[in-house]
Amino acid sequence: MFSGIAVFYLYPVASTAYYSFTSWEVFGGASFTGLTNYRRLLEDTDVVRALVNTVVYTGIVLLGIPLGVVLAALISRPGLRFSGGYRVIFLMSYIAMPVAIALVWRQMFKGDYGVVNWFLSLIGVDGPFWLGTEWYALFAVSIVGLWIALGFNIIILAAGLRGIPKELYEASALDGAGRMTQFRHITVPLLTPSIFFVLVINVIAGFKLFDLLYILLEPTNPVMPETQSLVFLFYNESFVVNDKGYGATIAMLILVLIGIFTSLQFRWEKRWVHYVK
Amino acid sequence: MVFPFVWQLVMSLSTNSQVTSIPPTFWPGELQWANFGRVFESIPFLDQFWVSVSITVLRTAGQLLLCSLAGYAFARMRFPFRRVIFGLTLSILMVPPEVFMIPQYQIIQNLGLLNTTTGVVLPGIFSAFGAFFMTQFFRGIPVELEEAARLDGCNPWQIFIKVMLPLVKPGLSALAVLTVVWSWNDLLWPLVVTTDTTKMPLTVGLASLQGQYTTDYAVLMAASTMAVAPILILFIIMQRRVIDGIASSGLKG
Amino acid sequence: MKTSRIPLVLVLSALGLSACGGGGNEQSASEEPLADETTQASIDYAIWNAEQQPPLQKVIDAFNGTYPNIDVQIQVTPYEQYFTKLQTQGSSQTLPDVFTMNSLNFETYAENGLLAPLTPLVEDGQLDPSNYPQALIDSYTFDDTLLGVPQNSQTIAMWYNEQLFAEAGVDTPTSDWTWDDLRTAARTISDELGDEGVFGIATDLTGQQAYYNTILQAGGYILSDDKETSGFDDPASIEGLQFWTDLIAEGASPSVRQLADTPAPQMFNSGRAAMMFNGAWSVAEVQDSPVADVADIAALPQGEERGVVVAGTAAVVSRASEELPAARAFQAFLGSQEGQEILAGEGLGNPAFLESQQVFVDSAPQYNIEAFTDASEYASPYPTSGDTTAWNLLETELLPSAFSGDRPVADVAGELASRMNDLLAAEAD
Repeated sequence: MFSGIAVFYLYPVASTAYYSFTSWEVFGGASFTGLTNYRRLLEDTDVVRALVNTVVYTGIVLLGIPLGVVLAALISRPGLRFSGGYRVIFLMSYIAMPVAIALVWRQMFKGDYGVVNWFLSLIGVDGPFWLGTEWYALFAVSIVGLWIALGFNIIILAAGLRGIPKELYEASALDGAGRMTQFRHITVPLLTPSIFFVLVINVIAGFKLFDLLYILLEPTNPVMPETQSLVFLFYNESFVVNDKGYGATIAMLILVLIGIFTSLQFRWEKRWVHYVK
Repeated sequence: MVFPFVWQLVMSLSTNSQVTSIPPTFWPGELQWANFGRVFESIPFLDQFWVSVSITVLRTAGQLLLCSLAGYAFARMRFPFRRVIFGLTLSILMVPPEVFMIPQYQIIQNLGLLNTTTGVVLPGIFSAFGAFFMTQFFRGIPVELEEAARLDGCNPWQIFIKVMLPLVKPGLSALAVLTVVWSWNDLLWPLVVTTDTTKMPLTVGLASLQGQYTTDYAVLMAASTMAVAPILILFIIMQRRVIDGIASSGLKG
Repeated sequence: MKTSRIPLVLVLSALGLSACGGGGNEQSASEEPLADETTQASIDYAIWNAEQQPPLQKVIDAFNGTYPNIDVQIQVTPYEQYFTKLQTQGSSQTLPDVFTMNSLNFETYAENGLLAPLTPLVEDGQLDPSNYPQALIDSYTFDDTLLGVPQNSQTIAMWYNEQLFAEAGVDTPTSDWTWDDLRTAARTISDELGDEGVFGIATDLTGQQAYYNTILQAGGYILSDDKETSGFDDPASIEGLQFWTDLIAEGASPSVRQLADTPAPQMFNSGRAAMMFNGAWSVAEVQDSPVADVADIAALPQGEERGVVVAGTAAVVSRASEELPAARAFQAFLGSQEGQEILAGEGLGNPAFLESQQVFVDSAPQYNIEAFTDASEYASPYPTSGDTTAWNLLETELLPSAFSGDRPVADVAGELASRMNDLLAAEAD
C-alpha cells in the first residue's frame, strides 16, 4: 500500500516540488532557476484573486456540513419509511455525470430565461446574468458545488449515524430526553468523527476547485479571469500556456495552503471531536 | 435536489435544437427515444460499459482491501514515522490531480501497460482518500473491544479480520459507494492511458461525443442518462443489502 | 503492514524514468524511404472531432485501395482534453503516428522537433503546396519547412435571418456591404424587434469569429510579420475593436454578459439574432436548427478593406513514428483531392484543397456557401507565435472590459499590447 502510494503519488509530488524551482517548458528539459518562480508568484495579482475566489467557494461549500448533518439525521430516523429512497435522492447529486449536469445548471442560471431568475422574479427580484457577471458567477459555481458536496456529506454522515449505538437513544429516552435534546447531546457529539472527516475532505476538495468551474463557465467566459481558482491557474500555466515550471510553483502553493489548513484542523481536532474511548 | 436530473431526462428525450433553444423548451412534445438509439451508433456502448464495470470492480475491491489495512495501521498500530507517513499520505490529496498524470503515465508506459485495463486500474487502487477515510473509522471503534479480543488470545490478524472489520462495515460500504461513483465517473486518467475505443470506459466515450464547436446535446444527455442508470440501480440494490448486512451482523455499537 | 512485491517492481521502473524527457531538436535531411502498395504497417490516427470519424473511415477505405496493407486506427479524444493527452504522449515518446493539429498549438510541437517534415512528399510530387490556400501553408510552416497537410479551411462569413430582416423592414445583406450598412441594419432591427428579445447581431466575441476580422478590415494587425510586436495598440486595430464596443453600446448586439450567458449560435439558431459572424463549421448546425429555412450567408462587411482570418487543422506525422513511410503515405492521402472530396461531401466544413471546395458549396445548395470559399482569396492566417496561448489568455482577460464599455478601448488595447510585447520579447530570448 505505502509503496504504491509512494511510487504513484509521492514521487510525482516530489518531482513537482523540484520543478517549481526550474523553468520547465513542455517537452523541453528543465533548467534550474532557483527562486524565480516563487518571486513571480509573490507579485502575481491573479494568484491573489484566485486565492480569494477559492476561499469564498470553499466557505460556501462548507455550509453543506451543518445542512448535511441535519438532513442525514432526518433521513436516518429509526422507523422512517423510504429512508433508503431519500438516501438515493441525495446521492444522485454526487453520482451525476459532470458534463451532463453542468449543462442543466447552465440552463438554469441563464439570465434571460433561466429557472433561477424565474423563481426570483416571483418574489420581485430581477436576477442577474449569473454566469456572465463578476462574483455572481462564483456564487453560482459555489451553489452547484454545495449541491454536489451535500450528496457526498450525507452518504458519509449517514454511515456515521448508523455506527451510533441505539442503546444510547433508548437510555436517554427513558430519562425523558426529547428529539432535539437527543440530537444535540447524542447525535452531534457522537457524529463528530464523521463531521471532522467531512470537514477535512470538503476543505481539501474546495481548494481544488477546477472541473466544475471549467465546465460551468468554459475557459473563454469573460468573467473567468475574475472567477478562476488556484487550480484553474495551475492548469492554465501547466497545460495551456505550457509554463510547467510556474505551474508547479502554483501547485506547491496549493499544497502548502491546504497543508496548513489541514494541520490546523488536526491540531484543533481534540477540542471538539469525541472518539469513543 | 432532483430537479436537475429530471431536466436531464427531459433533455435526453428532446431534439438538439430544443435543448439549446431560447427560451428553453420544458417539454419536448414528441419524445425523441431515437436519441438513445443514436448513442449505440456513436460509441461502442456495450464494450465501454464492460470496461467501466471491470475497472470499477477492480478499483473498488483493491481500495477496500488496501485502505482498510492502511486505515487500521494508521489508527491502531505503533510504528516508526507513523505520523509523518500519515501526513505524507494526506499531502497527496492536497495537490491538483493533474500533477500525477504525466509521471503516472510514464510509469504505466514503462510497465508496458498503456492501453490496458490493468494500466487504467493500477494507480487508482492506492487511495490516500480511502486510507484517511478508514483511519477515521477505525479511530471511532472503542479500544476495549480490541483488548477483549486480545485477552481471548486472538493475534493481530485475527483481531483485524474477526473483530475490527465487521465493526467498520458501515465505513467499508460507504467507501465502496464513494469508490464506485468516483471510478465510474473518472475521466482524465482513463482518457490519457487508453487509445483504443473499445478499451475506454464509458466516461471517455461520452466525452468524445462533444465537438469543438458544436455538440449534439440531446444525444449527450441520453448517453449520460444511460451511463448513470446502472450506478443508480446498483446503489438502490446495495442500500437494501448494506442495511440488512448491518442488522444481521448484530452490530449495536 | 507488509510491502508486497509488485510495488517494488514499480519503484525500480520509476527510477528509470529520468531517462525519459524531451525529444530531439535537430532537423535532419530527408532521405527516408516512401511507402508503396506492398508496405505493411499498422498506424494510429488521432482526431478530436467525433463527427469526422465516419467520413474519415471512408477516407481510410479509399486509402486502402492504394495501400491495402496499411491498417489505420482512428482514435477520438474530445477537444477539451485532446492537447492535454497529446502533451502527455509527447513527453513520453508515445505520440500517435498521424494526428490532427491546429495552428494554436502547432509551434510548440514544431519547435520541439516532434513533427516529421513533409519535404520527402513534396520532393516526390505527392503533395503540391500550391493546391492549398497560402495562408494555411504559412500556418504550418516552421523554419521554412512544411510540417502539416492542411485539412480544412475555416473562414468566417456572416449568417443572416431573412425573416427577421423582413419583419424589421430592412434590406438583406449583400456581399458589398460596408460597416455602416451593418451598423444601421443591426440598430434598426434591435429597435424594431427588441421587445421580442431580438438583437440585430450576435457574435461570440472571440478573435477568430469577431475582432480579428474587424481589426483586419480596419487596416490593423494583431501580430507583426516578424512576430515580435503586438498590433493591438495600432490605431486601426483599436477601431476594429471599437466596432464591437459600439454595437453593444447602441443595443444592436447583446451585452458581454448576455453573450457569456447564451452563446451567439444559440441566439441565432433560436431566431433571437438577425445576424451572426461564424465559421464554415456552423453550416451543419444552422441546417438542423429552427431557422434553417430563413437563414442565408453573406460575406463579412468591408471596413477600410476586406479582411478575414482563416484557420484550419492539419494532419501531422510524429517524427518518432516507427512507421514513418506508412504514416506519411496516409498524411498525403488525407490532403489529396480524393481524400478531401470525401470529407467535403459530408458537410463538415470547407476542405483545404482548393479545387475540392466546390463539393462543399454543393453540399448545401440552399445557402450562399461561396461566402466562405470566396473569403480564401483575401484571408490572412490566424495569428500565432510560439506562445500564442499565453497572449490569447491576456485577450480573454482584458478585452471584455473594452467591449462592455467599462474602460476606454484605447486604454485596454494599450495595456494588452504592452503585456503581449513582454511575452513576445521573453519568447525571443
